Amino acid sequence: MGALNPDFRFGNFVGSIVQLVLFILAFVTLLVLPIIFFVLFFVPLPVVDGQVLTPYLFFSMMVDPSRTIPVIQFLIHTDLFRAAVFPGFAFAALIAASTIFLERKLLAKMQLRVGPLYAGKIEGIFQLLADGLKLISKEIIVPSGADKVIFWLAPIMFVSTSAAVVALIPVAPGWVAADVDVGLIAVFAILGFFPLIILLFSWASNSKYPFIGGLRALHQMVAFEIPFLLSALPAVIFAGSLNLSNIALSQNLFWNILVMPVNAFVFFISSLAELERVPFDLPEAESEIVAGWLTETSGMIFGLIQLGNYLKLYALAGLFVLLFLGGWYGPQIFPPELIPGASTSDVSLLRLVALEGLYNPVTINSIFWFTVKTFVVILLMLITRGINPRIRIDILLHTGWYKMIVLTFINLFVVLTLIYGGILGPGGLISVK
Amino acid sequence: MADAMFVGLSILTIGSAIISLESKELLYGGIALAVSLLGIAGFFVILDAPFVAMFQIAVYVGAVAVLVIFTVMLVRSPNTVTKRETVKRKISGIILSLAFLALFGAFIGNSAVSQFSFSDAVPAVDIKEIGRELLTYYSPVLIVLAFTLAGAIIGALALARREDIEEKNEPAK
Repeated sequence: MGALNPDFRFGNFVGSIVQLVLFILAFVTLLVLPIIFFVLFFVPLPVVDGQVLTPYLFFSMMVDPSRTIPVIQFLIHTDLFRAAVFPGFAFAALIAASTIFLERKLLAKMQLRVGPLYAGKIEGIFQLLADGLKLISKEIIVPSGADKVIFWLAPIMFVSTSAAVVALIPVAPGWVAADVDVGLIAVFAILGFFPLIILLFSWASNSKYPFIGGLRALHQMVAFEIPFLLSALPAVIFAGSLNLSNIALSQNLFWNILVMPVNAFVFFISSLAELERVPFDLPEAESEIVAGWLTETSGMIFGLIQLGNYLKLYALAGLFVLLFLGGWYGPQIFPPELIPGASTSDVSLLRLVALEGLYNPVTINSIFWFTVKTFVVILLMLITRGINPRIRIDILLHTGWYKMIVLTFINLFVVLTLIYGGILGPGGLISVK
Repeated sequence: MADAMFVGLSILTIGSAIISLESKELLYGGIALAVSLLGIAGFFVILDAPFVAMFQIAVYVGAVAVLVIFTVMLVRSPNTVTKRETVKRKISGIILSLAFLALFGAFIGNSAVSQFSFSDAVPAVDIKEIGRELLTYYSPVLIVLAFTLAGAIIGALALARREDIEEKNEPAK
């Protein structure tokens, strides 16, 4: 207390706080509330449960257990929720975060290390939180001579492009942020942005290692783009549609991987190359060119690019599940009602706990199986990283341009034979309808 | 809504096209070209042709713009563009292109294209129909195009191949 200013008066202190409160009140009444009402006057408010959902009604419905469910039901069916929270960004970011932690722990165990240990006492479960805080608080260093506009814009473009890919991935029937008729082509079109962004970023860093990494990324992605697209083609022929939901729906009898294992393998390898993961991590080969195109990144720029990378990992694993592993189909393991007898009970709190009206066993089951399968594919990608050395760039290009493209044609011909033989596909002996 | 989108896309496309021509920094010109091509993809989306839009993005933004920017980065020297256009030449070029635009517009306005009537219920272009026509009636054209492209690729490979380097790297067995 000795450090207190000698001019300090408690009355002045209270007076300043009262002044501040009065100022905020005046500000809110004179400026914020009129703006809110002015905006509300022009914004068409949605109708929930037969009433227009004004902000007052929203708050009163949120605190009343018997009226909360309709509001939540309305909210989770808005486009914003789909794009930002559930099948979209937040869900994918959650999976991405758990993937980062899982990767560090799993690789450590595979290589007889311990991995993150101290943050969070139990096996370092808060390591990711600590890393995130560290990245946010770190200084972002822009190299001298760098192209500042591109250097700042490229990481944001990287994350938003990854989020755009994520938005196209359906997790359950009807649960997709953007249901596009040409979904698969859209995925590949958006994936085509990544070489451009990486090249621009590596050039903007004004340093030799990023530029070498950027050139490597460009070569690698161009080499694997064609087998990547071609390996997805038989699944499209089977489903008779480019819509990802329809491709998943066409596999309710058997998984596509049973008919096209070679293509699934090619798709897996190509997605590893697209993701720049070991053994195809030449663009960021840390033992050769420092950190490749990520060399000059620091602080949150690195954080954003990492986030984008893991969002992309989730999106491509989800795409693998949708194309080859039967999408969201799996045995029904969720009960028809969360709490038996809750729908007929009079206690509104019980109905709220049982999520009456929200809980749909089929959708929950679909989401569960989709997530499980996606995690299995992600684990396969992580294990590949743990046991493989990096391959040479000429072997990589040779693999991409010669072997992978030829391999994709094998299953294409098998599938075409099965379809024209009248066995599988739309209208075949073993078909969906 | 569609009108607002059309105006916005037009400003984006034409504005970035002008930037790509006028920018002193070649790399920014390349990026502006990519944005302009992206705007054209947006027009295809408005015209209810998402398939064409996606291929516009995949081919032009994903391949052509990348190659243009790649080339600009590799041959980056400040003396690439030394010749400045004079105002006279610029104005005459603009007048010439406007005249060409008017002529072309008059052509299209008087052709059968303007007689088409579109409705919201039936899509003007059915992708499945295009695919069927392409593989049945127009299949010879497709095959000729495929051979042309294959010939072009083989020719490019033959031109790019340097046998002296090959021999040095892989000695005779």
